[in-house]
Amino acid sequence: MASSATEEAKPKPRLIVRLGVFLASHHILFSAICCTAGVIALLFLPALAKNTYLSENALIPGSANTLFSTEDVLEANRFAKGIEAATGESRGGTEIPKFIAQQMKNLGAEVYYHEFLPDSKCFHPLKFFTSMTNNMAVKPNGTYTNFGINTIGIIRAPRGDGKEAIVLVTPYNSQRVQPNELLSLSLGFSVFSLLSRVAWLSKDIVWLSADSQFGEYTAVSAWLNQYHNPMFLSHPVTLATKMYGANRIIYKPDGTTEKAELMAFKRAGTVAAALIFKVGETRKYGDRDSVTMYAEASNGQMPNLDLLNVVHYLAVHRQGFRVNIETFSSLLTSSWLKVIAEVFHNIGTVLRKVNPDWKLDVTVPDYVEGTANLASSIYNQALGIPTGSHGAFRDYQVDAVSLEFGPAFHLRNENAKSSFLLRGGRLTEGVVISINNLLEKFHQSFFLYMLTAPSKFISVGVYMIPFALLLAPLPIVAAALAGSSKTKGKLLDECKTKGSADDLQIECGSWKWLKSARVLLVIQFWAVLVSLLPYYISQIPGAMPIQYAVIWAVLSIAILIILYAMFGSPFHAGVEWKLLKATMITTITLGMGLMSIINFATAQLGALILIPMCLFSRPLREQLEMTFLPRTILLVSSILLTLLGFPPVAFLIMNGLSKGSWTVDIVGDFWLWMEFLWEWSSATYLYVFLVHLPCWLLCIHVLLHPCHQPESKMKQE
Amino acid sequence: MAIRHYWSMAAAAVGFRLVLVLFGGDLHLASRPEVSTPLTSIRRLAEGYWLKQASMSPYSGSMYHGSPLLLSVLGPLTNKSLIFVAVDFIAAMLIRATGRKLQIARNRSLKSLDLTEAVSNSVNVSAGDIASLIYLWNPWAIVTCVGSCTSPVENLMVVIIIYGACSRLAPLAAFGYVMATHLSLYPAILIVPIILLLGYGPDTPPTKVFRLKNSNASKTDVSYDEKSSSSRDVRQFSWKPVLHFTLWLLFWSSYVLLLSSIILNKVGGLQEMFKKYFFAEVFDFFRSFFLIVFNMNIIFMVLPLAIRLKHRPCFLAFVYTGIVAMLKSYPSVGDSALYLGLLGLFANELAEMHFTFFLFFGYIGVSLLSPVMHNLWIWRGTGNANFYFATGLAYTCLQTVLVIESSILHLNSLNRGFLYWGLVGPGPSIPLPRYHY
Repeated sequence: MASSATEEAKPKPRLIVRLGVFLASHHILFSAICCTAGVIALLFLPALAKNTYLSENALIPGSANTLFSTEDVLEANRFAKGIEAATGESRGGTEIPKFIAQQMKNLGAEVYYHEFLPDSKCFHPLKFFTSMTNNMAVKPNGTYTNFGINTIGIIRAPRGDGKEAIVLVTPYNSQRVQPNELLSLSLGFSVFSLLSRVAWLSKDIVWLSADSQFGEYTAVSAWLNQYHNPMFLSHPVTLATKMYGANRIIYKPDGTTEKAELMAFKRAGTVAAALIFKVGETRKYGDRDSVTMYAEASNGQMPNLDLLNVVHYLAVHRQGFRVNIETFSSLLTSSWLKVIAEVFHNIGTVLRKVNPDWKLDVTVPDYVEGTANLASSIYNQALGIPTGSHGAFRDYQVDAVSLEFGPAFHLRNENAKSSFLLRGGRLTEGVVISINNLLEKFHQSFFLYMLTAPSKFISVGVYMIPFALLLAPLPIVAAALAGSSKTKGKLLDECKTKGSADDLQIECGSWKWLKSARVLLVIQFWAVLVSLLPYYISQIPGAMPIQYAVIWAVLSIAILIILYAMFGSPFHAGVEWKLLKATMITTITLGMGLMSIINFATAQLGALILIPMCLFSRPLREQLEMTFLPRTILLVSSILLTLLGFPPVAFLIMNGLSKGSWTVDIVGDFWLWMEFLWEWSSATYLYVFLVHLPCWLLCIHVLLHPCHQPESKMKQE
Repeated sequence: MAIRHYWSMAAAAVGFRLVLVLFGGDLHLASRPEVSTPLTSIRRLAEGYWLKQASMSPYSGSMYHGSPLLLSVLGPLTNKSLIFVAVDFIAAMLIRATGRKLQIARNRSLKSLDLTEAVSNSVNVSAGDIASLIYLWNPWAIVTCVGSCTSPVENLMVVIIIYGACSRLAPLAAFGYVMATHLSLYPAILIVPIILLLGYGPDTPPTKVFRLKNSNASKTDVSYDEKSSSSRDVRQFSWKPVLHFTLWLLFWSSYVLLLSSIILNKVGGLQEMFKKYFFAEVFDFFRSFFLIVFNMNIIFMVLPLAIRLKHRPCFLAFVYTGIVAMLKSYPSVGDSALYLGLLGLFANELAEMHFTFFLFFGYIGVSLLSPVMHNLWIWRGTGNANFYFATGLAYTCLQTVLVIESSILHLNSLNRGFLYWGLVGPGPSIPLPRYHY
C-alpha cells in the first residue's frame, strides 16, 4: 500500500521522457523502420539531386569576350615543334625544362626551376589530423641523380598588388613526352603567353609545368609544400648537396648569376584557385570533344562547387565540350538498377500527382546514370585518396579542379587539333577571367556535396538524411538495453534487501556498465595496437605482401590473447550481454558521428555494413531457445552480417563487385590496399581499425556470449 | 576497504606519464587549444622567461599572462616537463590523504550520533584511493601533464587548499589559497568552503540531526536524552582556526607580493604585474563587459550554494571548482581533471548516480569531437569557429549535468542519511525534501 501511495504521489514524467520510454519499449520496430527508411532514402538520393547554380555573383562567367585567337594556336604549334626538336637533340629529362624556361623568359615572365625527390613510403596515419606543414622534414641524405624538375613561370599582374595568384598546372613526363602531354603543354603555354599580354589581370598567374615522372601528385605537392613552407636553410648540408646535384644536371659550368636566379624559389601571393589540365591519352569516340572533371581531394574534401560550376558552364555553353565526371560504368548496364529506377519513377509520378511541386519522377536513364555517378563520387570520397593532383591544393585550403580533355579526333589531325586548342584555350582563359574577378576566397557555394551529374549535386542537408536515419535507432536501442538490464538489477535488489539500502547492490545497479566499458577499453587498446603494427611490420625488408599480412594477423591475435591474459577475458568477466551490446552501440554512435564529420562518405558506407550487424547481434545461445522460424532467420542473418563485417571479407566483396574478378590472393591484396590507404594518410584507415574492427570484435563477443550468469544469479537468490 | 594493487596502479600511471613525456614528442599536445590556453601555455612562459633573461618586462609583447613567480620556478625548466609528473603525483597523494581525513571525520560523526553499527555496516570503498586513482589515470590529467602547461601547478595549489583545510592546517591552507589565487584568481571563491572547513570541520551533520536525535530519544528514553545532550554537544563554529588562517593569509600574500616585486624589480615592479597580468585577459573595448559576463555568473552561485551545502564544505569546494571550470574564461581540460579527481572523494555518496553511462560516453565523445572540429575549422577550412564552439557548448552541458546530478544525489543522500541513522521513520513524521529537476 505504501509503495502504491508513493507512486501516485510521484509527479507525472515530462512528455519527452514519456516519448523516450515509448520509443525504448518499441525499439525493435523503431530500428527496423529507421534502417529500412535509411536504405530507401539512400537509393532515393539520385532523384533528389538539384541543378547546380552559381552562388558567387562576382564570377560572371562568359560575360567577357575571350581573346584567345588563332594566333595563339599558332604559338602553341610553334611551341610543340620546339619541344619536339629539343627532345630530338638529346636524351634525358633536362632539355624540356630548359626549353620551357627559355620560352617563358621570352614572354617576360619570371622563371625558376624547382627540384624535388620522389616521396618515400611513410606510415603516418594521423597526418591528416595535423597541419601539412611538417611533412618535408624527412629528406634522405646524399646526392640523388634522379630528380624531378618543375618549371615555373610567374606573370605579375599589371593591376594587382601581388597578394593573390591563380595557378595553372600542366603535368608531363620529362623522361618521355607523349603526344597528348605535348598537346597539353602547348595549350598551357599558349594560354600563358596570352595572359602575359593582357591588361586586365589583377591576380598573378603561375604556370607550373609539373614533372610527372614520379606521379603528378608528388610533383605538385612538393612544389606546394615549398611554396607554403619557406625553408630557412635549417639543413644547409642536405640542401647544398641537392642543389649541387641539380645544378650539375641542368647547367653548363658558366653563367653562375643566371643559375642562382633560376634556382631561387619565387612566390606569388595566396593561391586563390588552381586549374590542372591535361589531354587524355586515349581517343574518345564521340561527336564532341569531352572534358572530365576530377574534384575529390583527400578524405572526401571537395573544392567549392562554384569552381566546378564555372568550368561546367563555360565548357558546355560557350565552348561546346561534353562534360563528364567519373562513373561506375558497370552500373550503367545493370538490370536490377533499372528495376529500382522503374519503381522510383512510378512512385515519383504518383507523388507528382499528389503535389505538382514534388519533382521526384526522374526518368529511368537519368536515375541509372545519376546512381552510377553518385556511386563513383561516394566511392572516391570514401577512399579518402585524391583523384589527381588537385588533392595537393586542397590540403592548403585552395580550391582546385583537374580537367582531363578527351579529344574525339586523332592527335595527328592538325585541323581538329587547332580547333581543339582554340576551344581549350578559350575555356581556360574564361575560367581564369572568372577567378580573376573574385574579390574573396571561394566561400559562397557548397563545400560538402556529392555529384550525380556534372551539373547536378546533392548538398549536405540532403545526403545526411539516410545516414541520420540509419544512426537514429542506435541511441534508442542502447538506452533500451541499458534500461532493461538496470530494471532487472533493481528487481534483484528489491527481492534481496528490503528497507535498509545496501550500497553495494545499488552500486552494481548504477555502475554495472563499468565492466563492459572495461571490455571496450581493452578492445580499443588492442585496435590501436593493431593499427600501429604495420609501421613495424613494413620495416621488414623484402617480403611478399601476403607474408606481411600473415605476420600482421598472427601478431594481432597474439596481442589479443596477451591482453586478455592481462586484463581478463570478457567471457569470464561476467558482463551481461545487453550491457555489452549497449556499450558497443554507443561506441558505434560515437565513432560514426565523428567519422561523418571527418569523411562523410566513409561513414555512410560503413554504416550500411556496421549498423545492421550490431543491431542483429544477439547471443547464439539465447537464439537457440527461440522457435524455429525466427531462430533460423536471426541466426543466418547475424552470422552472415558478422562475416560481412570483417574488414578483409568486406574488402573481398567490394573488390569482386567493382572489378568482377574474385582473386585468390585476398590476404596480400588486403595488405596492399591498407598500404595504399596509409601512404595517402587516409582517415579511412583509421576508421577501419579504430571503429570498424573493435565493433566487429565486440559483435563476436556478443554472439558467443555464454549468457548464463544472470540465471545462475537468480538461482542463488 | 582499501583498493587492491593501489600502489602498483599509481606507479603505472606515473610510469605512463614518464613514457609519454620522454617519447611522446610527436604528439604536439602543447599546441592543442584544449590543453594549453593563453594563460597556461608553457610556450608563452618560455617567451616570458626569455624576455626576462634579456632584462625586459616579461609582459611586453603581451605573450605571457602568467605569474612572475612561475617564471622563476618553471622558467629554467621549460623544456623538461618531468616536474609536472611530480606535481601530479603530489596532488594525487594529497587527494588521497584528504579522502582519508574525510573518512575519519565521517566515521567520527557517525559515532558521535551513536551509530557504531552503521560505521561497521556501511560498505565503504576507500574514497581517497579511488579519487587519487581517478586523478592519476584521468586521460585529461595525463594530457595536461604531458602537454606541459601550468594547470597541474594550479590544480596542485587547489588540492593543497582543500587538504590543508580538511586537516585544519591553517598555514598550509593559507599558502595554497594565496598561491592558487595568485596563479589564476578563480579559486578565490574557495574562501567560503575553507572557512567552513576550518570552522566546522570536514564533516558535520547538520544541527537538525542532533536535535531530531534528541527529540526522538526523548520520546523513548528521557534519561538517555539528558546524558547525550550533556556529553555530546552540537559542534559550534570555532573562530580560532579561521583567525589563524586569516593571519597566515596576510603573511603569505605579503610574501608573494614581495617576491613578485623582487622578480619584477628591474622591469617596472608590481605595477607592471597588476596591469599586464591580472587585467590583460581580454580586449580593451570589451573588457568590462566580459569581466561582468564571465565572472558574475560564478559569483552569483557562490552564496546560494554555500547556504545549502554548508554542512559538507568539501563537496561545496568540488561544486565550486566544477562551476569555475564551466564558466571561466579560457577553460582547459586541466580544470576538468581537477574536479573529476575531487568527485572521486564522494564515491560512496554518489554510487547511485543517474546518467553515468551517458556522462562517461559523453565525455569521451566530446574529447574526441573537439580535435575533429578544430581540424575542420583550422586546417580544412570547410567548417568555421561555430563548429568548435558547438563542441564547447556540448562540453559545458555535460559538465552541468554532472554537477547538478551529483549535487542532487548528495543532497538526497544527506536526507537518506537521516533515514539511515534511524532518525526519521518511514512514517509521515517529517516530510523530507526529495530533489527533482
